[in-house]
Amino acid sequence: MHIDPLERRWIILTLVLMLAITGVLLGYAIAANLHPPSNVETIDSTRLHLTPEFAEDKLGVAKNPDGTLTVTMVAGRYGFYPQHVEVPVATPVTFRIASADVLHGVHVPLTNLSTMIVPGYVSEVTTLFEKTGEYPLLCNEYCGLGHDHMWSRLTVISPQ
Amino acid sequence: MERLILSAALGCAMAIMSSAPATVLAAPASNVAWTGEMRQLVASGDSARGQQLAAGCASCHGAQGVSEIPDYPHLAGQLAAYTYKQLRDYQDNTRAPSMMGALVATLSDQDMADLAAWYASLPLPPPTGAIGEAQAQAVTLVLQGDGKRLLPPCASCHGAHGEGALVDVPALAGQSAPYLKATMHAYRTGQRANDIYARMRSMAQMLSDEEISALARYYANLAP
Repeated sequence: MHIDPLERRWIILTLVLMLAITGVLLGYAIAANLHPPSNVETIDSTRLHLTPEFAEDKLGVAKNPDGTLTVTMVAGRYGFYPQHVEVPVATPVTFRIASADVLHGVHVPLTNLSTMIVPGYVSEVTTLFEKTGEYPLLCNEYCGLGHDHMWSRLTVISPQ
Repeated sequence: MERLILSAALGCAMAIMSSAPATVLAAPASNVAWTGEMRQLVASGDSARGQQLAAGCASCHGAQGVSEIPDYPHLAGQLAAYTYKQLRDYQDNTRAPSMMGALVATLSDQDMADLAAWYASLPLPPPTGAIGEAQAQAVTLVLQGDGKRLLPPCASCHGAHGEGALVDVPALAGQSAPYLKATMHAYRTGQRANDIYARMRSMAQMLSDEEISALARYYANLAP
């Protein structure tokens, strides 16, 4: 098989680059103990309401033994349920959110709470709100005709 | 004022939820979950067999699924998945007890899928009665919703022509106005609670009596 010498040099250069970049990424990931940002945990999105964790009466804020909070929510066209969540300021809060239908996202402006909500998976993200106030919870993945109406409320209150 | 009451109620609900120990689950809003098997069951519905079974339903719901009694819903043209879910919910008592519970008690899963297929094969009922002045108010809610009340437009789920949508969002076009109105009031009071995650209950609670009337008449008069 004849390969033009110029072409051969390009192939070798590209292969070396690919191997070098893969090596750097792998080495760095292993050395710094890096993981993908998402929590990989599967769930059957079609029967969320029949599971113990995402049953309708189990959604909302729950206090953990160590004083942190867990907020369990369901994203479905077109809303986040429960539609109003109240959490204290400066307290670690773990959000566990699952989609009941299609791909959604959740974003709370002015905070670092932002994650995709992929059907079939539980999205988990832990954050801490530094300022009290009313925040909207917005869907930031196009999910259908009512996407721009998909939002709910998050209130961050000061502990009495 | 309604918003205040609603947020107070939500607050209480959350306080109860966060303080309650992890005990037995309350009954789910519905036992129906759209898993692959359940979708296949509904898709396998035999409308010819459904038509025979539906002979017993005709006295209230009409021979062609168009009821002559205003308080009873038209079933013609309804999405099979929705009809199936309602039958299952009546059987499981997750849809408010009524005479329907006793009537569907002996139906098998396949019977319900067949009935649902038969009604889905019929055309939606024709529009009835002009709506007049309330039209503008209804159109705003249907097409734009109300962002301030977290109220998405009705059309985003029920379709621009009230034709319903996957998997089980019901068609509303041509539905009896008194039935639609009674249903929205039942959702608002929680008497009907088979909507998973209270999607319809929470919206009905935000609507005024006047808006519910306008919407009921709008959909009754909507041509699919």
